[in-house]
Amino acid sequence: MNKGNRIKLTVILPLLSLFLWGSPLLSQERFRKSPPYPEPLAELKLPEIKPSFLTNGLGVAVIQRDGLPVISLKVIIFAGESPSLKELPGMATLTANMLSRGVSYLTASQIEEIIESVGGNFSTYTYPDYSVFSFTFLEEFLDNALDLMSKMMLQPTFLRREIENIKRIMYYDLHEKNKDPEFVAERQLGRLLFRNHPYEKSTFNEDVIKNLNQADLVSFYDRYYRPNNSLFVLTGNINLQTAIRKVSRYFSTWRRKESEHPSLPPLEPYDKEKICLIDLPGAKDATIYLGNIVSPLRGQDVFPFVVLNQVLGGTHTSRLFMNLRESKGYAYYAFSELDFFKNCCVFFVKAKVRPEVTYPSIMEILREIEKITKEKIPSPEIEQAKSYLIGNFPLQIQTFDKLSSRISEIEALGLGEEHWSKYYENIMLVSSERVFEIARKYPLLTPVVVIVGDRNIISDHIQEFEEVFVYNNKGILQYTIKKGEDE
Amino acid sequence: MNKGLISKNRLLILGLFLFLLLGDFPAHGQEKQRLSLPINQYKLGNGLQVILSEDYSLPVVSVAVAYNVGSINERPGKTGLAYLLENLMFQGSQNVSRMQHISFIHRTGGDLNATTTEDKTIFQQTVPSHQLALVLWLESDRMKSLEITAANVEQAKEALIEEIHHRKATEPYFESFLTFDKLLYPNVAYGHPVIGNEADVRDLTVEDVKDFYATFYTPNNAVLSIAGNIDKTKAEQDIRKYFETIQMGQNIPLPPSPTPSDKEATIIAKESLAPLPGFHIGYRIASPYSQDFYPLKIIEYILLRGLTSRLYKKLIIRSRIARSLSGSIEKRKELATFKIFVSSSNEMMAERSKRVIFSEINKLKSSLVSEEELGKAKNIFKMDYLNQYATSADKSVFLAEAFLSKKSLDHLPDELENYLSVDHYSLIRIMRRYFTNEIVLDVKIK
Repeated sequence: MNKGNRIKLTVILPLLSLFLWGSPLLSQERFRKSPPYPEPLAELKLPEIKPSFLTNGLGVAVIQRDGLPVISLKVIIFAGESPSLKELPGMATLTANMLSRGVSYLTASQIEEIIESVGGNFSTYTYPDYSVFSFTFLEEFLDNALDLMSKMMLQPTFLRREIENIKRIMYYDLHEKNKDPEFVAERQLGRLLFRNHPYEKSTFNEDVIKNLNQADLVSFYDRYYRPNNSLFVLTGNINLQTAIRKVSRYFSTWRRKESEHPSLPPLEPYDKEKICLIDLPGAKDATIYLGNIVSPLRGQDVFPFVVLNQVLGGTHTSRLFMNLRESKGYAYYAFSELDFFKNCCVFFVKAKVRPEVTYPSIMEILREIEKITKEKIPSPEIEQAKSYLIGNFPLQIQTFDKLSSRISEIEALGLGEEHWSKYYENIMLVSSERVFEIARKYPLLTPVVVIVGDRNIISDHIQEFEEVFVYNNKGILQYTIKKGEDE
Repeated sequence: MNKGLISKNRLLILGLFLFLLLGDFPAHGQEKQRLSLPINQYKLGNGLQVILSEDYSLPVVSVAVAYNVGSINERPGKTGLAYLLENLMFQGSQNVSRMQHISFIHRTGGDLNATTTEDKTIFQQTVPSHQLALVLWLESDRMKSLEITAANVEQAKEALIEEIHHRKATEPYFESFLTFDKLLYPNVAYGHPVIGNEADVRDLTVEDVKDFYATFYTPNNAVLSIAGNIDKTKAEQDIRKYFETIQMGQNIPLPPSPTPSDKEATIIAKESLAPLPGFHIGYRIASPYSQDFYPLKIIEYILLRGLTSRLYKKLIIRSRIARSLSGSIEKRKELATFKIFVSSSNEMMAERSKRVIFSEINKLKSSLVSEEELGKAKNIFKMDYLNQYATSADKSVFLAEAFLSKKSLDHLPDELENYLSVDHYSLIRIMRRYFTNEIVLDVKIK
C-alpha cells in the first residue's frame, strides 16, 4: 500500500474539516462519529464429539447440523506418510489415491460417475500423521455414498495399470508444483526441520514415485486400512443412531487387525540459525519461510502460543504485516502460523517480499520475533488478539466440510476438547505474562530460513549473511555461499 | 491450525469409461425441492431494500450491501469507474479513515470481501454476531459520506492501472478473453472489461468519480442483506438508525440496450501469454429471467460441469485433443451467453476439438439425454445451488443477488425446483432454439 498518501491524508483532513465547518456533511447525527459498542458476546454452543465404536473397532462421530440437505463424511485412517517405508516415501499418499481408482466390480471411471451422480465431491489428503478421505454428497444419497465408500475401503483392486496412471498424475502434479515458490519453500522447511525423522517422508519429490509398486501399496493398505485404525466423522442432518446403523450396515464386515504404531522419536529444534536458498529461475519475488520446531507444545503452553502467533502474524493487523507491508513496504504479505502435528508443532513465518529487500525483510522478521522475547506484549494488544481468535473461531466452522475437517484434525492428532469445547475458555485465560514466558521458553530465535527466488536476482541481496546453504528443489545441498567469497 | 505444512496431496480422479447403470439413484421430480430459507424483507423510506434471514446455528452474522451498478453502467470513455469505486469504498468516509473499515472488521475476527462485476457491486462482511452494529455503522458511513479526494482518486487510479498491466502481463489468454467479449457484446457498455481501459482510467477526474458515486451508490439503488444470528428487533432498529437518514438518489439511469453480436474473428496472440493455440465459442442465449434459462443451465452441466461431463470426457479424457477446457453461462443483466474456451497443443488439435464440440451440440439437438445423465447433471447442479447458501456469507450474497435479479423473492423457494423439473424434451427444444448462431474466436500463436 502507498504509505505516502496516508501521511498526506492526515495533513489534509484537519484542513478539510475547517473548510467544511457548518456544511451539511458535518451536521451529522452524533452516533455516526464513533463505532458503536458491541453487544455482549453470544454463546457458542458446540456439540460434543464423542465417537461411538462398532464391534470391529470402527469409530463414528456425528455432528448434527440442519439447514442444508447435504452430508459431509470424512474417513480418517490413522496412518499418514510417517509410517511409509524409509526408502519409499510417498507410499501412504499413493495408497490413499488408489482407493478411488478401482474396486471389485467398479472401474475408476464408474466410481467417478457415482460420485458425481450423488452431487458429490471427493478428495484425498495425506498428512504426516493421518490420511483423510473427504466425501460431501446430497443427503438423500447417504446409502449410495456409504456403499461406495465401503467398496473403496474394503475392496480396492490396486490394478497395475491404474497404479501407473496415478503415478504419472502424481509425478506431473509434483513436477508442476516445483514452479510454486510457496510449495517449494514450505517443503524445504519441512525437510530441514524434520531431518531424519519419520515426518521427513512427507516432503518427497516427484522422483521417488517411480520406486513404488503394487506390493508396497497392498502391504501398506493391509497394515493400516483397518476399522480399529479408522474414524468416521459425519456432519449433517443425521443423528448418531441413524449414522451408526447405516455405517454398520456397510462396514461391519471390515475385519479388524492390530496395526503397529511405532512411537515417534522426539524432534529436536535447531539451536542455530540456518539460511538456505533455493533457486527458482524467473521468480519475480523472494518467498521466505522461516521457522522452527516447537516441541513438545502441549497443555498449558498451547494457548499462550496461539495468542503469541496471533499478535505476531495471525492476520492483516498483526505486527509482521503492519511492519513489513504497511510500514516498510517490503512485503506483499507477511504472516505467521502454528501447525500442529502429533509429535510436535512447527511455528513459522511466511512472507513474500521484493527481492532487493530480502535481507532487511529477514532481519525485520527476526527483530519482531526478538521483540516478543524481550518485551512483554502490552495487555491491550493481547486482548485484541484474543478477541480476534474468539470472534474468528465460529467463522472457521461454518460449512459442514470445514466443521468435519476441524473435528478430524482434533481427533487424529489427539488434541482433545481443549481445542474444541474449551477453546474459548482457554483463549480467554491467556495473559500477557504467560505469553512472555512462552516466548522465552521456546527456540524462536534460531530458525531455519528458506528463501525461494531467482538466484541471479537474489544473490546480490543476501550477501550480508555469514553463510547461505544453496539447495536444489529435491532437497540436495549444492554448495554454500560464505560472506565475502564469490559463489 | 494445521494447514498441512508438508504433504497435502490432493488428487482428482479421472474417469475413463462412458457407460454405467445408475438405477439405484432416485429420479428427480418425484418430490418437490423447496428451499427452506426464512426471509423478511422490507424497504426503508429512502428506498433501501432490506432482507433479513435468521439462522441461529452459530454466533455469526453476515452483511452484504449490493449496489445495482457495474461496468455496464459506465459511459464510453469512462470505463473502470465501478471498479475504481469499489477500491475507494475502503479509502475512508466521514467518520472512518483510510483502510480502517478493513481493520475494524479484522479486529473482530471477521472477514470481508468485495466484488465488482459487469452488473453489480457487492460488499460483504462476516463478523461475530455481537458486532452487527459495527458493520452497519461502517457500511452506512460509506454509503452516506464517502471521501472522494484528488489524492485518493489518484491513488486508486494508479492501483487500477497497475492491476491492468499486471493482468495483461501475467494472465494467459487475457487479451483473447477481452477480444471475445467485444465480439459477443458489441456495445461498449456490455463488452468492455470490468477493470476498464487504461486510457479511460487515466483520464478519469475527481468529478467523474463523485458523479458516479452520487448517481449509483444510493440507498434506492442498493440492497442490504443480513443473514445469520440476529436479534431481529434490535437489527431492525439499528438498520433504521444508520440508514434511514441517508438521502435517496435521483434519476438513476438505466444501462443501454444490448445489440446483436458479431460472428467470427481470429486473433494472433503473443506466445508468452498464450502458451497454446485455442478458440472461444459463444452463443447468445435466453435472458436469465426467462423460463428458457432453466433448461439452459442444465445443458451447461451436461456439457461442461464435472469430470464426467460430455465435453470433458470427449476432449480431455478420451481423446486428449484438448489441453484445457473451461466454460459456463455468463450473465450480464438481461443478457446471457454460453461460453466455451479450449486450448490444444497445436492448431490441428484445436480444429478437431472444435468439431467435437459442434458434434456434441448437434447430438443434443437430436437425441434425448438419458435419465441417468440428466439425473446426474441435476444432482451436481443441486449441490452447487445449495452451496450458494452454505455459510451466512454465502446466504447474504445469494439473497442480495436474488433481489437484484428482479425475480420476486417470494418465488425463491421454488427456484431450485424449476431447474430440477427440466425434462428431456425441453433440452432438445432449447438446443434447437439457442445453439444456432455461434460466435467463434480463434487464438493462434505468433
